[in-house]
Amino acid sequence: MVAYELWTEKYRPHNLGDMINQKEIVERLESFVVAKNVPHCIFAGPPGTGKTTAALCLAHDLYKEGWREHLMELNASDERGINVVRETVKTFARTRSIGEIPFKIMILDEADNMTRDAQQALRRTMERFTETCRFILIANYSGKIIEPIQSRCAPFRFTYLSRDDQDAYLRRIIEKENIQIEDKGLNAIFEVCGGDLRRAVNTLQAAASLGKNIDEETVYSVIGRANPVDVRDMIILAMKGDFIKAREKLREMIMKYGVAGIDIIRQIHIEIFRSGIPEKWKVKLADAIGEIDFRLIQGAEDEVQLSALLARLVEAGYEIQKGG
Amino acid sequence: MYAAWTTKHKPHSLTEVVGNNEAIQNLTDWVKSWDKSIPKKRAAFLYGPPGVGKTVCIEALAHDLGMELVEKNASDYRTADMVKRFAGLASQYRTLFSHKRMILLDELDGITGTADKGGVRAVIEVVKEAHCPVVLIANDVYNPRFATLRHYCLLIEFKKPTVLQVVKRLKEICRREGITAEEETLKFVAQRSGRDVRSAINDLQALAQGKKHLAYEDVSWLAERNRKEVIFNVLRTIFYSRDCTEAKRALDTADVDQDMLFQWIYENVPHQLTDPQDLAKAMDSLSLADLYRGRIRSSQNWSLLRYVLDFMTAGVAMARERTKPSGWVPFRFPERIRWLSRTKSERDMRSRIGMKIRRKCHVSSVVAVKEFLPYMKIIFESNAAMASGIAEWLGLDEDMVEYLAGGKRQAKAIMKTLG
Repeated sequence: MVAYELWTEKYRPHNLGDMINQKEIVERLESFVVAKNVPHCIFAGPPGTGKTTAALCLAHDLYKEGWREHLMELNASDERGINVVRETVKTFARTRSIGEIPFKIMILDEADNMTRDAQQALRRTMERFTETCRFILIANYSGKIIEPIQSRCAPFRFTYLSRDDQDAYLRRIIEKENIQIEDKGLNAIFEVCGGDLRRAVNTLQAAASLGKNIDEETVYSVIGRANPVDVRDMIILAMKGDFIKAREKLREMIMKYGVAGIDIIRQIHIEIFRSGIPEKWKVKLADAIGEIDFRLIQGAEDEVQLSALLARLVEAGYEIQKGG
Repeated sequence: MYAAWTTKHKPHSLTEVVGNNEAIQNLTDWVKSWDKSIPKKRAAFLYGPPGVGKTVCIEALAHDLGMELVEKNASDYRTADMVKRFAGLASQYRTLFSHKRMILLDELDGITGTADKGGVRAVIEVVKEAHCPVVLIANDVYNPRFATLRHYCLLIEFKKPTVLQVVKRLKEICRREGITAEEETLKFVAQRSGRDVRSAINDLQALAQGKKHLAYEDVSWLAERNRKEVIFNVLRTIFYSRDCTEAKRALDTADVDQDMLFQWIYENVPHQLTDPQDLAKAMDSLSLADLYRGRIRSSQNWSLLRYVLDFMTAGVAMARERTKPSGWVPFRFPERIRWLSRTKSERDMRSRIGMKIRRKCHVSSVVAVKEFLPYMKIIFESNAAMASGIAEWLGLDEDMVEYLAGGKRQAKAIMKTLG
């Protein structure tokens, strides 16, 4: 029997040398390995660009065998709050590592979800235990990390993968898993996933599970099934003036399918520019979308923020019709 | 067929009646004493809050003692003339068919006039001359109207049953309807009704009819029902006020949960403000209110709360510029809250699977649900071999596999490959 698991994990690189993207970052990290010293770091960048993988590879290359003993991974989204930082982090950070390298590594994933208080507590911990523990903070937005922590860390900016990098990575998998795929299929994956490698691999695996030759149709059908509610329908409803129905669609996306607010707004942004509304309105709406995108980061409920945007679309639709 | 559960499951016998054991005992003793001779007090006056079983109790007692019950309510004795029409019934204890008779005058609160004239006076006459037990029922026996009448009556107070007693009754009804429900759920319904058995049973029916299982989430939104009137008043002020201070003050006058109120406003804005510009302005205000809610959450700086309140009250109030008043638009219950409870079991399942993924894939469960679950569903629906491998690797249980596979048949195929 073939051993199946999720390919994102099965094909995750273990060494910095295996990473196909983010070349400059990888080079700097490799120099840390050579020097056997690592500063506190912030890895910032969009999802699926190798932040967590880079951190794990760094630890692996640094400690070699038994690397797990020198490493602790915490995910701030699951264990945020000030007490976790105080207790778990402190207990781990203060004990000295035995071995050649005198410090351990603490990976704090999705650190931009930590409250400010928790970040303040973390800042003190980082200072006190620098000798015995180095922190790698991983975040989508480095702006959500408080200044004092940022100034103590070496910043690393991760960017979306290039088309070549994505293809190189996917081809490795395609070969090992013996998949039939057309170039158009790969095209489609890149178009939809836009350099988010995690999403690309998941899409590839789901497409492969359908058990036939993968062409662009297959890819689009996978994407369609993975995102069953259409953002475009919602926009059309709003522009026609049916706010209540549009809000219902939004609710379904968020509550039933668990789609994140930032993904919805990104999609709205794309669709508005694709749509046939008067050109000057596209610019006006970009301003509205940008403002809500900004509020999403700090706001409490995605649905409320996006509803406000839908109301702006209702207003725009009304004025366009009037000939405004 | 739709039947009100309060009727369908009305107790037939006193043994099924909830609570008030002492009152029931006194009442039974008094009715039974008629068998020996006419007692000193020819009427019993049952009083107490609504929905505690006063009427039900008399009906059950008549049933248990094999008596004929003549029931009259407010509409039957609005005037003295109307009372006189049935007064004759009270002149006999044993009926033609040798049943013993009992007369019930229900809803006496509805009677008009004072003790000296009209209906009450006629009732007093009936009581004085009665040759069979007369039972009077009202909520408030100490109403001055009943001052004279009280002298001729044995007063029996009915009190609210305990929550546990109400729960016991609800449980029995659930059993008969084939519905399962946890004790906690029923307790909540009982408490919410203010220990009013009738209203608790009505609530139960509204919530549980047609279901096999009544979950806590199904009932928890009831929490605000009693507050509806309070909330409506606040909403009315906010949606119709032309003045910031007045709109803001709406909050101080009522003790409502601000998060809850936010949901009510958010739900009702598009129904109340139909002009596109007004709507956009009001929603923008709510967006700002939400922004400050988020800032409070991340900074724990509660002094920012005042801005949340500004935007959700005054901000929304000032948005009305063009929407014409179109008469009375009813307020709606926040759908979002209903959604939350409706989708809860699905969200629970997703986050449980998310936890499994999280352990293996170096992500939070939130990201796992968002980034992995949709693709896993496709794999589980279409490829049993690949799915079983993933299920084993992640350590998913049968329920999780079934959820991902979208059905029992595919789930079986996957579990079979798993062995």
